[in-house]
Amino acid sequence: MDSVTEKLNRCFAATFPTLDPGKYAAASVENLSEWDSIKQLTLLTVIGEEFGREIDFEEFEDANSYEALIGILQAGQVR
Amino acid sequence: MQLGEALRIIGQAGTEGERTVHLLCGFTPLHFETFLKAHLALRLPKNAIRLRTGLYGDLEGNIQRARKETADGAVVALEWSDLDARLGFRASAGWGQQTLEDIAAQAAEKCGRLANGLAELAETMPVVVAGPTIGIPDLTSTPPSQANSLELELNSVLAQFLKKIGAHRNIRLVSAGALGMASPSASRHDVKMDLLTGFPWTALHADAVAEISVGCLFPAEVKKGIITDLDHTLWKGILGDDGVGGVSWSLEGKSQIHALYQQTLASLADSGVLVAIASKNDPALVREALKRPDILVTDARIFPIEASWGPKSDAVGRILKAWNIGEDAVVFVDDSPMELAEVAEKYPRMECIAFPPNDPAAAAKLLTTLRTRFGRREVREEDKLRLESLRAAADFREQGAGENSSDFLSRLDAKITFEAAGADKRAFELVNKTNQFNLNGARYTELDWQSVLNRAGGFLANVSYEDRFGPLGKIAVVGGHREGEDCVVDIWVMSCRAFSRQIEFQTVKKLLEHTGARGIRFRYKATERNGPVNDFLTHFFNGASASGDELYLRAEDFNRLCPSLFHQVNDQWTVSPKN
Repeated sequence: MDSVTEKLNRCFAATFPTLDPGKYAAASVENLSEWDSIKQLTLLTVIGEEFGREIDFEEFEDANSYEALIGILQAGQVR
Repeated sequence: MQLGEALRIIGQAGTEGERTVHLLCGFTPLHFETFLKAHLALRLPKNAIRLRTGLYGDLEGNIQRARKETADGAVVALEWSDLDARLGFRASAGWGQQTLEDIAAQAAEKCGRLANGLAELAETMPVVVAGPTIGIPDLTSTPPSQANSLELELNSVLAQFLKKIGAHRNIRLVSAGALGMASPSASRHDVKMDLLTGFPWTALHADAVAEISVGCLFPAEVKKGIITDLDHTLWKGILGDDGVGGVSWSLEGKSQIHALYQQTLASLADSGVLVAIASKNDPALVREALKRPDILVTDARIFPIEASWGPKSDAVGRILKAWNIGEDAVVFVDDSPMELAEVAEKYPRMECIAFPPNDPAAAAKLLTTLRTRFGRREVREEDKLRLESLRAAADFREQGAGENSSDFLSRLDAKITFEAAGADKRAFELVNKTNQFNLNGARYTELDWQSVLNRAGGFLANVSYEDRFGPLGKIAVVGGHREGEDCVVDIWVMSCRAFSRQIEFQTVKKLLEHTGARGIRFRYKATERNGPVNDFLTHFFNGASASGDELYLRAEDFNRLCPSLFHQVNDQWTVSPKN
C-alpha cells in the first residue's frame, strides 16, 4: 500500500469511524449515506492535515468518491 | 489538537451516563462542534457526550429554545454578526454612514435581549460565553490602523453587556486574554470558509475556543496546597550565607520576580489555599527572615514551616500529615532540580515545578500556572477558615495525644450544627472535592446536583462544627432519601480537618432521630482514598472490612455500638419523616 493510500485511509477512518475499512475503496457520496456536505468538509480538512497541505475546497468540489480523491492526491494536485 | 485527532478522540469517548451540552451560536458550528465534543470527551472520559445545536443565524432563538431542554450546560459562541448581521462577511446591506449608526443602535438593543435570554438560561444550567472572537470588519472610512467611533461604540456596548452577564452566578465568560494566548487574533478568521460554509473560524481557533470553554464549564479539580522552598525561590539569595538582611525580593535587588511570587502566594493564601515551607535552613533564621517588615507573604499565612537539614521529602511528608490531604492535591515549588527529583520520586502524584530564578519570563509563566492550578470562582467563609482550623487541629492533636480520648473530647466544648443544605454551593463543592471521608467517591455535575436537590423524599444536610480550638465551618454533607422503613444514604462526605471529633457518629445519630428510620442503608463503594469512611463503617460491622455496594446499619446496632458523644447540638435541620 503506498503512502497516499495509507494516509487517505487514516482520513476515512477518522471521518467515517463506523465504515468497514474494506469498503473504503468503493465509498462515494452515492453509496455512503453519512457522506454529506458537512462530512465532505470534515474529510477535506482532515486530508489537509494528514497531507500537510492547504486544501482548495472548490478544486475538490467533484471529489465525491474515494477513487476520485486518490486520483487527485496521487496526481499531486493538492495545493 | 487537529481535526483528525478530535475525531479519533470522539470515536473513543465513554459510554456511561450521557452528558448533554448545548452549543449555541449563530454561525454554522462545523468544526467547532467536533472540537467541543472532543474536549468534552477528554474532560469527561467515562461519559457519552451529546451536543445539541440550534439554527443558523438565530442565536437569540437558540438560547430561548435551549431553556426548554435539560442539559449539563451550554456553551455560547458569540460573534459580532450575532449583534447585527451587517457586521458579518456574509451580509451585503451596505456600510454607508446611516447604516453604521443604525448598526450601533441595533447592537445595543440586541445585547439587551441576549443578556435577558442568557440570564434566563443560566437559571437552569451553567452557561459559558465566548466572544466575539474575530474582529469588527473594516467598514468605516477611517484607516484600519486607527480606532474609529463605530468600533469604540461597539466595544463599549460589548463591555457593558459582558459585565452585566458576567455578574450572574451561573454565567462564566471565556477570558479574552487566555484565548489570545492560545489563538492569536490574526489567525482566527477563515474568510474563505466563512463565505463558503458560514463557519467563520480556522480549525486552530475552533480548537482553542472549545478547549477553554470546556475548562470553564467543567473546571478541573483545583489543588489545595502549595509547598515552597525559600532560597532562590521565595527570595533571592541564600539565607545561611547572605543573612536575614541579605536576601531580597525587590526591583533594587534585581529580584522583583520573587516579590511577585510572594504576592501570588499571599493572594492564594487569602483565597483558602494552604501554603507551607520546606527548606533546608536554620529554623531560627527562617523565623527571623519571615518577620522582616517588608515580607509580602507573612508567617501568619504559612503553615507549617518545615526548616531543617533533613531530606526535603521528609519535610514534605510532615507537611502532608499536618494538612491531612493527599499528595495529588499539592504543588511543590523549588529551584533545585535535585530537590524536585527527590520529592517527585517519593511523591509521584505531586506536581513538582521548578522555580526559574534567572528567567523572569519563565517565572511569570509559573505564576500563571499557579493561578490555573488553584483558581476558584468564588471564595467562601470556609476557605478563609481553613488555615486557622489546621493550626487548631495541630493543637488539638498535640493536646489530645497524652490523655484518654473520651476525657479530651468531653472538654472540647464542641458544638455541631445541622441544617438543610438547600441550594448552598458549599455542599456541592465539598462533595466534589472530598476524597478521604467520602462514602462512595461519586462526583456530581450541576445538573446531577439539581436532581439530588429535587428528589422525592430526599434530604441533604450541612454539618458545621466548632470547639474551643476555633470554628471549622461547614465540614460535612450527608444526603439520601427514605425508602420504606429505612433511610438510604448515598452522599456522605466530611472534610479531613474534622476527623477524630466523633462528628460522624453524631451525624448518624441525628439522621436516625430525624427520619425515625429502622436503619440506614449506606451506598458505600471503596475507592483508593476513602479509608477513613471504611474505618468508620468497620466499627459497626463486626470488625470486618466494609465491602459490597450497600451496608445496612440497624438503629439498635448503632445505639449499642455508638460511643459516648459530648457535642452540643444546634439542630436546624428538618426532614420529612416519611415520603
